[in-house]
Amino acid sequence: MDMKVKGSKELLTEVIDAGLCTLCGACAGGCPYLVFYKGRIVLLDSCTLSQGQCYQYCPRTYTDMDAISQQVFGTPYSGDELGTTKEVLMTRSTDTRIKESAQYGGTVTTLLSLALEEGFIDGAILTKMSDDKTPSAFLAQSREEMLKSAGSNYMACPVLQALNQIPKDSEQRLAVVAMPCQILALSKMRQEPPQDRMNVGNVKLVVGLFCTWALSPDGFHQFLKENLNLPQVTKFDIPPPPANIFEAYTPSGKISFPLDEIRKFVMPACAYCLDMTSEFADISVGSVEGIEGWNTVIVRTDVGAQLIEMAKEKGKLEVDILLPENLAHLKEASLLKKKRALQEIITRSGDRKNLLYVSLQQSIIDRLLA
Amino acid sequence: MSGVGIDAPGSTQLFIGNEAIARGALEAGIGVASAYPGTPSTEIMASLISVAKEMNFYAEWSVNEKVALEVAAGASFAGIRAITSMKQNGVNVASDFLANLVMSGIGAGLVLVSCDDPSTISSSNEQDLRNIAKWLDIPLLEPATFQEAKDMTKWAFDLAEELNSICMIRSVTRIAHARGNVRLGELPKKEQKAHFDSICPVVPTLPKFISYPSAWLHSQLHAKLDKARELFESSPFNWYTGPEEAELLIITGGSCWLYSLEAVKALKLENKVGILKLGTIWPLPRKLIELHLGKSQKILMVEEIDPFLEGSIKELVADLPPATPRPTFYGKHSGHINAYGELNPDLVIEVIASIMNLTYESRPAEYSKKAEEIPFTYMPPRIMTFCSGCPHRATFWAIKNALRLDGRDGFVTGDIGCYTLAIGPAGFFQMRTMYCMGAGAGVANGLGKLGQFGFNQPVLAVCGDSTFFHAAIPALINGIYNKSNFTLVILDNNATAMTGFQPHPGTGVTGMGEITTAVDMEALCHSLGVQVEVCDPFDLENSTATLLKAIAQDGGPRVVIMRRECELVRGRRDKKPPYKVHVDCDKCLGEACGCDRLCTRVFGCPGLVWDSESGKATIDETICTGCGVCADICPQGAIIREAV
Repeated sequence: MDMKVKGSKELLTEVIDAGLCTLCGACAGGCPYLVFYKGRIVLLDSCTLSQGQCYQYCPRTYTDMDAISQQVFGTPYSGDELGTTKEVLMTRSTDTRIKESAQYGGTVTTLLSLALEEGFIDGAILTKMSDDKTPSAFLAQSREEMLKSAGSNYMACPVLQALNQIPKDSEQRLAVVAMPCQILALSKMRQEPPQDRMNVGNVKLVVGLFCTWALSPDGFHQFLKENLNLPQVTKFDIPPPPANIFEAYTPSGKISFPLDEIRKFVMPACAYCLDMTSEFADISVGSVEGIEGWNTVIVRTDVGAQLIEMAKEKGKLEVDILLPENLAHLKEASLLKKKRALQEIITRSGDRKNLLYVSLQQSIIDRLLA
Repeated sequence: MSGVGIDAPGSTQLFIGNEAIARGALEAGIGVASAYPGTPSTEIMASLISVAKEMNFYAEWSVNEKVALEVAAGASFAGIRAITSMKQNGVNVASDFLANLVMSGIGAGLVLVSCDDPSTISSSNEQDLRNIAKWLDIPLLEPATFQEAKDMTKWAFDLAEELNSICMIRSVTRIAHARGNVRLGELPKKEQKAHFDSICPVVPTLPKFISYPSAWLHSQLHAKLDKARELFESSPFNWYTGPEEAELLIITGGSCWLYSLEAVKALKLENKVGILKLGTIWPLPRKLIELHLGKSQKILMVEEIDPFLEGSIKELVADLPPATPRPTFYGKHSGHINAYGELNPDLVIEVIASIMNLTYESRPAEYSKKAEEIPFTYMPPRIMTFCSGCPHRATFWAIKNALRLDGRDGFVTGDIGCYTLAIGPAGFFQMRTMYCMGAGAGVANGLGKLGQFGFNQPVLAVCGDSTFFHAAIPALINGIYNKSNFTLVILDNNATAMTGFQPHPGTGVTGMGEITTAVDMEALCHSLGVQVEVCDPFDLENSTATLLKAIAQDGGPRVVIMRRECELVRGRRDKKPPYKVHVDCDKCLGEACGCDRLCTRVFGCPGLVWDSESGKATIDETICTGCGVCADICPQGAIIREAV
């Protein structure tokens, strides 16, 4: 494991060409050399700098988990199944319009909408799908725009590229809704804020999404295009086990594909990811297994707790505690992801002491490998 | 009348070699001149065309050299003297017609001037055209001075008529572009009348101007060469200077004669070394050479590019009676003369000194060292690049980005033109093959048919607008016909820019300045059934997107026309830049992460300068043409363009 910050050339060889790129977008949009195009990060010209922010912020270059945890929570990285938590809840929106287009309980859109209303943020970096269901990140500055983002597409999307493209002198306070790898990169950015770019200090709220893996935006989109009339699709879903299917909602009914067919398009980089629940977010949001129309919510920071409290007070969210069996199951799934990823990392590096990009305390490694 | 048309017989004018050749043609009373531009031949036609209207003859820039030769031949067939000029590569293009034309003979005097480019100062290959004269049985003259350039050209028309054969003049860059005194002769005043008479004087049932029956005509051609040889034996363009018995005999011609003369003088060997200067290069005057071979046992052939004189004279010696003493030959075969490239007096001095066992220092070693160092001390380092504001830079920027984004290791096949600079940093190293006119499109045809062998790299052929008309159209048609998978990018800058902005069939104006039909290249492509997109290369975003779309397609060829006038043409006409460009120093990132001097380090327009003191980019206002493209390159928006 090399702790040195290197340049774009090494980012290309060590991460992108090595199949470790998660398409988080942290390296893109901040300079003219690295751009995202059709499911790939492309180096347009050689940059001669031996050290670059592209390499530094990449969630698959050296990452000191303790330092990041200290930065976000003021404690070292625990290695617990769900990371650092204040409470784990079950919530759903009270807003019928949000619920209509929501993937599960509409919690994310509700929280963002509230934060905007209350003047806590001026906008949010979100992901939306085009008519042909190509995902792209954008800056939403109104409740209407936020509604456009509701629903999941399961495809990787370089969300942080949109953040990098925020003008340097912008004073807008922002929320970012992102995947675990993206939030890890964002945490690295907050740790050592970028020079000559957007002010990362303006990110006031980080909402993390649960993620077991993401699909390659190029390959999977091609698959969807070949099998569906994409503009007609209203929603994609992966129902909880044991369904083992991927569903597309169309006006003529649901069309389902065996999940194994879909798994072929999982980003190879996801195999090395230790984080299912976006452990460095203020609030992490996912589905609740077996209970439709609700979200699991992990409150992690004071900022997250305040927002949930406010949503509850103002009647924007129905809040309940997560049932013990659901919590146990969530922990089990999250732990399984960690264990598998650590095995994959060690298999790849061929050395239990070389965890490719992540630095973990030995006790955590031992616990996960037990 | 000025320039080459000046009517002042007996006066002396300072002409470049190409003007001297043009003047010779005028004194010979040409009625038609045709050419395709090509360095170092271009000024022959350029100077003729500038006086054509006033002097009442016809001159044209033709679509290519083969057509140029055919145009001149057409005039000759109808009794009008005609000249055509081209560079060495052009003769290759014209050679098919040339090889047929020699069979039939001509009408009025017909002269082909071909300019070789030893050391390929501005060519895609090095080639010695004296060989084509030998190969195709064409009488060839080579001037050594500017006066000879004029006189020989004039005489070549008489010779052509006397022999009933096209004649060639071979010039080289140092004759074509150097300048010297030329004493002028009379300009003919008589009216010319064209009439096509096709009756063959030998077989009245056959047309005169056909290359058939070839075998019989070939024997006639050899007879013509024998006659030429006889005439050349007493030609005033051949002469000997030096002692009757020489320690060394130099046989040479053209500019090499001047180098030899200078070398012998510098070594003070006038009494020991003789020089046989030949102006009639093919067929060689056998008797004259035999006569002079007896002057020395050591023979040095001084010539550029190929051992043409060397080989031909050795052939001649082999035919001498067995008892004749064989001299020792020095030249390219012996390793004394460079096997390629240009010569110069210093090189010839070294050769003579080595043969004569002399030591000669052309200049003190310290002086040589200093001279070598000076360019690196006092001159700023410069790379070969496109002009400031050149549309090609923007085009190759879009090509580079499109190919990188596409990500399948696509590449550019190209040919010769300003855009050839894309083999280097000027065009971001995008051009990966470069050969003759139109070869990019032709080579792409082959690459585009390799799908069955697992080939999926996008192939992007480039050609200029003039090159498109010259040689790329057949390649495009072939691609359409055979469904070859490539994208043809036509870099349409509305001029034959590299040779000096000559008009071409797409420009709507003839060489003589007449308004004419502009051949519409996209309508032409449409009519061929191929998809055509037209982009402004200065719109980088649209150009990149259009190219990406084109290279993503499969099947037959696609055409993208990158249309933007050559900046030098626009600048000359408009006299003012479209934008005033400056750098906002507060925004410029310079070497920091996020930029790394993209504008000066990668984009590389000469109008952009890196100020190492301030660590910021600046605009060199004396060089910047105000195209404003760099404002779109700068990721910080630090380059500001304001409409003028």
